[in-house]
Amino acid sequence: MASRNSAQNTLKLAPALDLNEATVLHERLLALKGGAVAIDASAVERVGALCVQVLMAAARSWEADRLSFTFAEVSDAFIKTTQLIGADIGPLMAKEI
Amino acid sequence: MDMNEIKEIFFQECEEQLAELESGLLKLNDGDRDPETVNAVFRAVHSIKGGAGAFGLDDLVSFAHVFETTLDCVRSNRLEPNQDVLKVMLRSADVLADLTNAARDGGGGVDEARSRQLIKELEALANGELPQTATESAPKSAPAGVAPPAPAVNEEGFQPVAFSFDDFDTGDEPTIEPSTYEIVFKPKSDLYSKGNDATLLLRDLSRLGEMSIHCDMDTLPPLDRMNPEDAYFSWKISLKTDQGEEAIRSVFEFAEWDCELDVALAGGTVGMEEDLPMQPVPFDLSILEEEPQAPAGEQDRAATGEGTPRNAAVAAAQTASNVLQMAQSTARVSPENARNSQSASAAQAAAQQAASAATPTIRVDLDRVDRLINLVGELVINQAMLSQSVIENDTNGTSSINMGLEELQQLTREIQDSVMAIRAQPVKPVFQRMSRIVREIADMTGKSVRLITEGENTEVDKTVIDKLAEPLTHMIRNAVDHGLETPEKRVAAGKSPEGTVRLTAKHRSGRIVIELADDGAGINREKVRQKAIDNDLIAADANLSDEEVDNLIFHAGFSTADKISDISGRGVGMDVVKRSIQALGGRINISSKPRQGSIFTMSLPLTLAVLDGMVVTVANQTLVVPLTAIVETLQPEASAIHSFGSSQRLISIRDSFCPLVDVGRILNFRGAQANPVEGVALLVESEGGGQRALMVDAIQGQRQVVIKSLEANYTHVPGIAAATILGDGRVALILDVDAIVAASRGQSLKPEMSLAAAG
Repeated sequence: MASRNSAQNTLKLAPALDLNEATVLHERLLALKGGAVAIDASAVERVGALCVQVLMAAARSWEADRLSFTFAEVSDAFIKTTQLIGADIGPLMAKEI
Repeated sequence: MDMNEIKEIFFQECEEQLAELESGLLKLNDGDRDPETVNAVFRAVHSIKGGAGAFGLDDLVSFAHVFETTLDCVRSNRLEPNQDVLKVMLRSADVLADLTNAARDGGGGVDEARSRQLIKELEALANGELPQTATESAPKSAPAGVAPPAPAVNEEGFQPVAFSFDDFDTGDEPTIEPSTYEIVFKPKSDLYSKGNDATLLLRDLSRLGEMSIHCDMDTLPPLDRMNPEDAYFSWKISLKTDQGEEAIRSVFEFAEWDCELDVALAGGTVGMEEDLPMQPVPFDLSILEEEPQAPAGEQDRAATGEGTPRNAAVAAAQTASNVLQMAQSTARVSPENARNSQSASAAQAAAQQAASAATPTIRVDLDRVDRLINLVGELVINQAMLSQSVIENDTNGTSSINMGLEELQQLTREIQDSVMAIRAQPVKPVFQRMSRIVREIADMTGKSVRLITEGENTEVDKTVIDKLAEPLTHMIRNAVDHGLETPEKRVAAGKSPEGTVRLTAKHRSGRIVIELADDGAGINREKVRQKAIDNDLIAADANLSDEEVDNLIFHAGFSTADKISDISGRGVGMDVVKRSIQALGGRINISSKPRQGSIFTMSLPLTLAVLDGMVVTVANQTLVVPLTAIVETLQPEASAIHSFGSSQRLISIRDSFCPLVDVGRILNFRGAQANPVEGVALLVESEGGGQRALMVDAIQGQRQVVIKSLEANYTHVPGIAAATILGDGRVALILDVDAIVAASRGQSLKPEMSLAAAG
């Protein structure tokens, strides 16, 4: 589906995905709706559950829109935290687009 | 929201919790044994502790913890909250408040010795009131020894910290075998808004053993319909640990009220579908524990600053005493108890939710409200000016403009009322502060005092509330220190040894009336009189009424206490009280009966911003008379006017006589007496009771006026309460009816009046 929308946006996540960031992230994602998105989580050092919620909600919405939503790059902290809280981002990891 | 804001919110919540704590303790003191009250008290301390832990406020945490431990003994019926116990607890609440303030303001102000002493007393209480200070063994022995309903507690001696009473387990022995627990963890949005995070709790949890987790995302709404700060995720966790259920619960200790938590042994009561896709949690989470190395700038941001101190607090909580944990396990010992406590906590949650659903509130900067009020004030003036110019230019008076204007007037009035309502606050916080003062003074003077408050929900403008605390404190101190007798004297006088101070607030004719009554000895008029003579306040042969003698205590430099005490007696009290009350546009009265006590009555305006007034003309000056003071207006007839004495006149109204007060004369607007028949009489009721007829030249109309302080813009003028700007832009003075009435009586207000004449 990504081919339909050639302009794929990349969203780079902030290092600290805390309470403050959840709203920011939510708004940034809403702004990108309607197009494929690649998430760059390479700089993430800390992740709070709220931001994971936002990301998972986004993943579902994108899926519903049949658009691509992938995690292009992830930091170790990011992947560990998502594993810790049981949010499975494996299927969303960028393999080959 | 940055960390400082969160911290600020925490302290605001602390204030609420402290108020809750105090009112709960006072209820207990009055014999209320409702478990919900005890729970509310416990919850208050617990929340403070939790928040303080998150911010690394160690002093606060350690004190709150000991306090909580003792409260928990009360909660689990192991400690009877009798008067002695509650005395300690109330004092602890005071210290907790001091510690909170110290933490907020970053200063000292905490009596270390006092707090240490209280910690000792609290621990002694938790230990079953044994006056032993030994820390070892006591916390363990006490619950078993004191608790009547602890059924299955195995009294096999004093076990070290790792003791567990977990009865769902196979035996009473400490759990050392690793067992698998199933945990359902459902955070509420509050958890996040308080700066906590589920990931941190899960991380701490994962440290306890092998953990598998399933994240339930079913409630997660689509992106565009979600609130990013709401909690949607919940977790089902399977944890294999050798540390027992207590260790699991203690991970959630500070989030206890902000989440739903269910912990059970695997295969136990909590049915967990086996087919849930559980994701194993990697054992090596070390990368997530890097917070201490985070750059300094990051440290104060939400999640970081929290990790380490919170853990420290957990550790402290675990080591300081075990009573809390014991209590939790005893509660779970019998299934019946467990069910009770569950339903109790469910009820709590429901109650909490109901409360929060009933009154959703927002916190607004006071400056913003003040600005709004100021603007609305200007709007009212502007609207008045507009209507006036329309009326002057439009002689028909029937045009649609007039209709529109009327609607505008109504709207402005409604806006004004609503804006005023924003500022209106119940007097409760001030009253609650007073109970602490009563306790402290009672302790210092060795008197036994009971403070009864009534009408705490009476609402009044915030400015009034803020300025009320100080005079009220002075008066309460005086009432306890001078008013009430010592217990021995009280018994000798045939009274209960415990003195009563009654603080009441009520609305009366557009004002708030606050009454402070004590059942002490009353004012010793002989002594007051003698003192006044000694201090040259009155002549030795002055002939004063009882009321006038009583009022002498409001003079500066007057004190009847033989000894000057710490608390009161420096003679700065009552005159300061009177001045602050007057500055608020209020009055204060005393009525005292020997051997029965004294009643101080303060009457204050509800708001300092607007006033309904009658605009009148006196000697070509425009004055505003507060409408609340006016009973009726009448046109005097010559036959109704009677002379009395040299210059006094009376007016007869429906078979009774009422003194006629010439406002123009009293304010020195004119030298000669006005002819009553040519003017209008306003029958007013003064605070002191009794009616007077104020004589004015003419009535212009009735209007709502915005009060502009004369003190702030000019200086205090006796007889004048404030000023206002009229529709035509002119300044009109607002009459201080009570001062005028008092002046018309002659003597008592003479000093002030002569000053006015001189000025």
